[in-house]
Amino acid sequence: MSNVLPNLRYTEQHEWVKVEGDVALVGITDFAQNALGDVTFVELPAVDQQVQKGDDIVVVESTKAASDVYAPVSGKIVEVNTAIEDEPEAINADPFNRGWLVKIQISDQSEIEALMSPEAYAKHIGSD
Amino acid sequence: MLKKTFLSENHRQIGARMVDFHGWELPVQYGGIIAEHRQCRDAAALFDTCHMGQFLVEGVHAGADLSRVLTLDAEALSVGKCRYGLLLNEQGGILDDTIAIRLDANQYLVVVNADTATRDFEWIEAHLSSDTTMTNRSTDWGKLDVQGPASFRVLADAIDFDLASLKFFSGRRGKCLGTDAIISRTGYTGELGYEIFMPGVALPKLFSHLLANAAAAPAGLGARDLLRLEMNYPLYGSDVDADCNPVEADLDRFIKRDREFIGAAALRRIDARGVPRKLIAFQCNTRRRPDAGSDIVCDGRRVGNVTSGAFSPSLGTAIGMGYVAIEHAVAGTELEIRAARKSLTAIVRDKPLYKGGTCRTRNAELKQ
Repeated sequence: MSNVLPNLRYTEQHEWVKVEGDVALVGITDFAQNALGDVTFVELPAVDQQVQKGDDIVVVESTKAASDVYAPVSGKIVEVNTAIEDEPEAINADPFNRGWLVKIQISDQSEIEALMSPEAYAKHIGSD
Repeated sequence: MLKKTFLSENHRQIGARMVDFHGWELPVQYGGIIAEHRQCRDAAALFDTCHMGQFLVEGVHAGADLSRVLTLDAEALSVGKCRYGLLLNEQGGILDDTIAIRLDANQYLVVVNADTATRDFEWIEAHLSSDTTMTNRSTDWGKLDVQGPASFRVLADAIDFDLASLKFFSGRRGKCLGTDAIISRTGYTGELGYEIFMPGVALPKLFSHLLANAAAAPAGLGARDLLRLEMNYPLYGSDVDADCNPVEADLDRFIKRDREFIGAAALRRIDARGVPRKLIAFQCNTRRRPDAGSDIVCDGRRVGNVTSGAFSPSLGTAIGMGYVAIEHAVAGTELEIRAARKSLTAIVRDKPLYKGGTCRTRNAELKQ
C-alpha cells in the first residue's frame, strides 16, 4: 500500500507539492518511487530557470526505467536538491522528505487549487 | 501461456515481481534490484535458473562428439571439471555459450541459455555419433544458483560430500537434502558460488531450507544482469549472437586453435584477416545509463554501439559493454555515447570492470 500524506497536493503524473508561502516544494510520490524501483540517477534543472506547468523538469532513472518529472505549477526554479544527485536512493527511502527534487516560486496561485487533493490522489492510485 | 519454473509458488509467496523472460515467468526482483545485488556481493543470493537448458550427453564417443560441436575440448577435460565454451556455426558465428561438466568418463552435462535451448539441442543432436545419447533434462530437472561470499556457509550442510573439496570450475554428483543432484562451483556473478542441478520437485524444499539461513536471500533477474555486467560476462542475445564471431566478442581466449571443431576453419580465417570491431567494457563519468543500442562516437564519427548498459552499484557510475572499431578498442580510449537524451563520456576499461569478485576463493579459506 502506497503512502499518501494528508498535507500535500498531487498530480496525475505522481508528483507531490508542498506549498510553503509562494514556494512549491516538489517531489515524486511513494507510489511513483515504488513503481520505478531503485532510483539510480537524477538530472535536476538549473536554478533560476523559468518553467511552465507541464514542462519536463527532472529526469529520474531507475534500474528499470527512465521517467520525466513535470512541473506541477508554473514559476521559477529557486532551489534544487543537489544532495540526491549523489544519493538518488533517498527518493526510494524517503520520497516525501529527503527525496524532494525542486522548489518552484509560484507565479500563479490558482494552479495550486487545480492540483489533486490527497483523497483524490489516493483514489487515482487505487488505494482509497 | 508463460512457462513456470519449479519455484514459481515460492516466488509468489514471497511477493516477487515476475516478468516474461523468453517465454518463462521469472522473478525480476523481490525487494529491490540494488539490495539484491548487494546481497550477492556481500553475503549469499539465491537465483532461480530453472529456465536454463540442461542436456545429459552419454556414450563412449560423447567426449569426441562434444569436442567437435563445442569449442571446448571435452575429451581433454578431467572428470569432475567444468569448462566454458561456445557453439559456433560453420561461419564462426556464435550460436550460444555453454558450460560443460564432465561427470564421468562417458557422461557430460551441457548447460545452455533458455532462449536458445531448443535450437541448441537440435544442433548438438545432429552432430552426435549414432551411439551417443543426449537427454534433455530441463523438463524434469531444475537449477538453483547460490552465489556470494557466504554461499559455502549457506549450502555446505545441505550437501552429502565435503563442499570445500569442490574447486572453482569443478562439478560432481552428490546428494542435496537427500536428493540426487549435480553441484558445480560455477556461476554468473563473479562471486564464490554454486549451481545445484536437481529434480525440480525437490527444489522448493531446498529453496526454503537455504532461505532459513540469515545470510541468504533471493535475488532476481535484475540483480543477475547487473552482477554479470560488472564482470563483463556476455549475455547471449544482447552482447553476442550468431552475427558475431568469438574474436570480435573477445571470447577467443577460451578457444584453443590446435584442434578441429565446427567453426574452427572459419576462426582460422578470422584470425588471419583480423576483425574490424571488438566487444569492449566501458565506464561512464556519470550515473546516467547508456541504453543498449546507443551509438558510440569517437572524434565525431560513429565507431560502434552499446550492447548492455546499467548503473553499477559496485563502481558507483554507469557502465556498459559495446562493439567499437578495433582501433578504439584499447583501454583508456575516451568514447562519446549518444544516449537517448544526452551524450555521455565513457572510457574503455580492462575487463572485468569489477575486480572484487570472490569466485576464485581458495578451498582452504572456505572453512575459516
